[in-house]
Amino acid sequence: MSSPATLGVLAGERPMPTWARTQVLVNRPLTDRYRLLRFRSATIAARAEAGQFVMLSPATESGPVLPRPMAIYTRDAGSGSVDIVYGVVGSGTKALAALEPGATVVVTGPLGRGFVVHEETGHVLLIGRGVGICAMTTVAQDLAGTGVRVSAVLSGRHESAIIGAEVFRGCHGDVRLATDADETSGVAVLRERLHRGFDGDPPQQILTSGSARLTRMSGELAARWHATVQVSIEAHMACGLGYCHGCAAGDGDGTHEAPLVCRDGPVFRLRG
Amino acid sequence: MTTSIADAPREHGAPGPAAPWVDTRVELGGLTLANPVMPASGCFGPELADLLPVETLGAVVTKTVFASARPGNATHRITEVPNGMLNSVGIPSRGVAEFRRSGLGGYAALDAPVVISIGGLSTQEYWRVAEELADTEHAAFEINVSCPNLERGGQTLDTDPRAMSEVVAGVVARSAKPVLVKLSPQLQTIGEAAKTAEDAGATAVTVCNSFPGMAVNPDRRTSELGNGMGGVSGPVVKPLALRLVWLAAQAAGIPVVGCGGIRAASDVAEFLLAGATAVQIGTANFAQPYVMAKVVEELPAMARRLGVDRISDLIGTLTIRAED
Ligand SMILES: Cc1cc2nc3c(=O)[nH]c(=O)nc-3n(C[C@H](O)[C@H](O)[C@H](O)COP(=O)(O)OP(=O)(O)OC[C@H]3O[C@@H](n4cnc5c(N)ncnc54)[C@H](O)[C@@H]3O)c2cc1C
Ligand SMILES: Cc1cc2nc3c(=O)[nH]c(=O)nc-3n(C[C@H](O)[C@H](O)[C@H](O)COP(=O)(O)O)c2cc1C
Ligand code: FES
Repeated sequence: MSSPATLGVLAGERPMPTWARTQVLVNRPLTDRYRLLRFRSATIAARAEAGQFVMLSPATESGPVLPRPMAIYTRDAGSGSVDIVYGVVGSGTKALAALEPGATVVVTGPLGRGFVVHEETGHVLLIGRGVGICAMTTVAQDLAGTGVRVSAVLSGRHESAIIGAEVFRGCHGDVRLATDADETSGVAVLRERLHRGFDGDPPQQILTSGSARLTRMSGELAARWHATVQVSIEAHMACGLGYCHGCAAGDGDGTHEAPLVCRDGPVFRLRG
Repeated sequence: MTTSIADAPREHGAPGPAAPWVDTRVELGGLTLANPVMPASGCFGPELADLLPVETLGAVVTKTVFASARPGNATHRITEVPNGMLNSVGIPSRGVAEFRRSGLGGYAALDAPVVISIGGLSTQEYWRVAEELADTEHAAFEINVSCPNLERGGQTLDTDPRAMSEVVAGVVARSAKPVLVKLSPQLQTIGEAAKTAEDAGATAVTVCNSFPGMAVNPDRRTSELGNGMGGVSGPVVKPLALRLVWLAAQAAGIPVVGCGGIRAASDVAEFLLAGATAVQIGTANFAQPYVMAKVVEELPAMARRLGVDRISDLIGTLTIRAED
């Protein structure tokens, strides 16, 4: 994770969250490591901005006590459905994986400040790794058909582990994969490749999520291209709304608390 | 001194023929609350007004306010434990002046009585916070005596009756409003602590704060929390808190506010029966942001099921079960 000194809070409106007790429509494997869960919430689907998240938990007496933060992977205001993609890590995500379609979940959202694509931006480069990619798919969704070019570099352990490629392609994004398996995901190799790929036509904005190494690399690329960087980060959370102070983005400055990831983020401006 | 907040009992649900309404009001040491349900300090903020009708709550409680700004603890600050959670948030605060300027207004706008939770690292600090907030719009103070006290080598105040007495008496002297004292879960001496608070002028005690605990990650060989230790809360602490409420209610002549693992109207009934006059809900708000309003809505049906049409008739009516 980036140290808080390098994180700036983006300007923007406070989110307008709602909560819903709603049914799981789909809960199935997406790749070997990740699962897709779809639920219905017309309000969340309609209000969600790119890069926002939800707090989600099974509505069972004996289930997890804390809801789990999950990025909004895609949403469809037409059908009122929202998809999240998650990796099974510990007890909370195991409990999510066990939910059958028809099971009830409690969802609060949309939450947090998402990615901001500036009006003058003509080309956006998205750099994501692993499950972090899920925070950026909605950016491509929103930019499809706007004339803003979207390039995506998606990194993962191997090709079939990479999520989101088809979403980005479906939104006419230019997608490049980088995998550990073919040794294209290391920063040195990737940096070279991006120099070659984009030096002639650099993006004005780099958006990144899922890897501290790639965040640092994004900062270097941005300096080279005179671009700006926004990064989506994670923190352990309880409320997701800004009142429990569980999710500080670091240890503060000795007097003041670091920004709260749920309220001031999860997307921050990376200071150069 | 009585600060009347509710002029009329609230009517909930469909009136039945025998009990057209249930009186949900409770008298909490000089405060009349429309019902016994309020949030626990640190587990509520004005942000929740987006998600539930906050005006239906008996009261709202602020996060603990300190005299000066403090950053809170190292991350991670939160993790889940079986049937509960562990937090070491460490009470970050922007300080009392900033709270007065920009924090309190958000609570005051909620249309529910505001209980301001006050903290301090020394006796003087508690007094200063009380003094600086004495003339603001609020219904009561709740003194959080579970803060590490710098004058006592980091021990919490309520392990030292003299020190606690001094803090409470000083806050009472500076406040024209009721003063609640929120105790930490001292498993052996809760009755004495409640009595000490009463003798120092407290109008009620809140029982209790989170339970000291720890979580270890064996694979990393580290503590899960950045601060090492934290406080356990949620359903896992309910039986522990119930016992402490029962003991405190036996010992003290002032009302007890029960807190620990509450998430349903039936839990509220259990705490009232054990001797609580009101309750606070903390951890349950996280997974179910509407839970407090739901509990309030379910109170009348719960009261009817237990055969009373005044919620307050349940308070302290528990009998210890003899063999059938
Ligand atoms: C804004 C945001 C968006 C996220 N989006 C996604 C997503 O789209 N897909 C996805 O798979 N994961 C996402 N995560 C991470 C996800 O929340 C964690 O993987 C999950 O909470 C792990 O819970 P667990 O009980 O399975 O794991 P455990 O390790 O058993 O969890 C123990 C505790 O730590 C917390 N925790 C553990 N790891 C993380 C983490 N990386 N981030 C936050 N809390 C954690 C848990 O919530 C729980 O309270 C996101 C996190 C944040 C903050
Ligand atoms: C995230 C978090 C923050 C808390 N902050 C405070 C606080 O600032 N002041 C305080 O008196 N208690 C604080 N508490 C303790 C709660 O108010 C409550 O006493 C405890 O969590 C037990 O109740 P519960 O099981 O319903 O959560 C906090 C608890 C949690 C979980
Ligand atoms: S999760 Fe509660 S303040 Fe961010």
